[in-house]
Amino acid sequence: MSKKTQEGELTPQSIQADKMAALGLLVAGVAHEINTPMGAIHSNNDNMRRAVAKIRKLLGPQEQEVERLFDIVDEVCRNNEAATERIMKIVHSLKNFARLDEAERKEVDIHEGIESTLTLVQHQLKNRIRVEKQFADLPEIQCHPIQLNQVFMNILVNAAHAIPDQGTITIKTLKEGGNVKVVIGDTGVGIPQEHLSKIFDPGFTTKGVGLGTGLGLSICYKIVQDHNGKIEVESSSAGTIFTITLPIKDA
Amino acid sequence: MSELSSTPTILLVDDEEMVVNSIKSFFAIESDYKLVTYTSPQKALEDIERNHRSIDLVISDYLMPEMDGITFLAKVKEKLPMVPRILLTGYADKENAIKAINNVGLYQYIEKPWDNEDLKLIIRNGLEKNVLLKQLEAKIREVERAQRELSEVQKDILRVFA
Repeated sequence: MSKKTQEGELTPQSIQADKMAALGLLVAGVAHEINTPMGAIHSNNDNMRRAVAKIRKLLGPQEQEVERLFDIVDEVCRNNEAATERIMKIVHSLKNFARLDEAERKEVDIHEGIESTLTLVQHQLKNRIRVEKQFADLPEIQCHPIQLNQVFMNILVNAAHAIPDQGTITIKTLKEGGNVKVVIGDTGVGIPQEHLSKIFDPGFTTKGVGLGTGLGLSICYKIVQDHNGKIEVESSSAGTIFTITLPIKDA
Repeated sequence: MSELSSTPTILLVDDEEMVVNSIKSFFAIESDYKLVTYTSPQKALEDIERNHRSIDLVISDYLMPEMDGITFLAKVKEKLPMVPRILLTGYADKENAIKAINNVGLYQYIEKPWDNEDLKLIIRNGLEKNVLLKQLEAKIREVERAQRELSEVQKDILRVFA
């Protein structure tokens, strides 16, 4: 998997690619392990709801206390259902994000990748950050989906970090000639002008030791470049906008 | 659908007791199907062999320690070629699963975690398809017999005029 330099060294990008491949395998195993007990819980919760509905029907109207307890059981089932739906969605997004069955380039709907990535960064956004999506009608593009998802993940996590309290992340997609554009903007603190020219350099970080790796954006840059696209950044004190331009048909 | 009114028997194999039990509960609440369950595909095959059970539909898990679901269902196909086979899987590698499915000729592929209502619908459709196939087979036999009789008559007629 690793592409070595002529001297035989591992580049940060190739190490990252290996990490993603390992992650893919891990996700495959975890998804299987979770889906089996999840299937049992999901099905049994439905069994409980059905059984209670039948008991209720058989017994007919009951005294207030019995009805109240039946209502509680119904509510518990509804709650469990919402919780299992959430887990199922996360596992689905994990599988989608890692795109296990497709290591190579193929035609994909990038909105699907953006949605899966959003589910996975949800815990960083919580109720603090609103996500506004303005998706255009896009054709599928030829790309390496797992790598592009990584780019979206990096930019979205950076955006979440840049917003101190409440804020908004706007994700806009559009088609322009033979390209698609993904514009991700945040209402965060912005990037100082003197840093802007360096943010795609390997090893450049402002987050301090232990917070950022200083590799994230340089890897994004490399990935987009490998797709014959470009990644641009604009920033002010009102926030930062990343624009990723990708050719629909890879040259 | 007269044959559907007699209680259909469904064979379910999954190495996880919790999966078997939840489907058992569902059937107990929502259907009058007879459910035969195994956590070992080997034992399920022995049962089919030994008891010459009349089984109307088979559901199997994919990843099991003894043999995978595709192998199991291929063996079921040898013994019970007409019976619809359903694979119930939590396995993530969909493309390979689908390839395997095409090799054994499955009726359906259901992903875990499954939806009870979907499962019910798929089973009902599978059973109906099986009944229709049986009816079709009977009709074909009938037509073949009629054709044989007809050609006998034709021979007789030719003999008379010869």
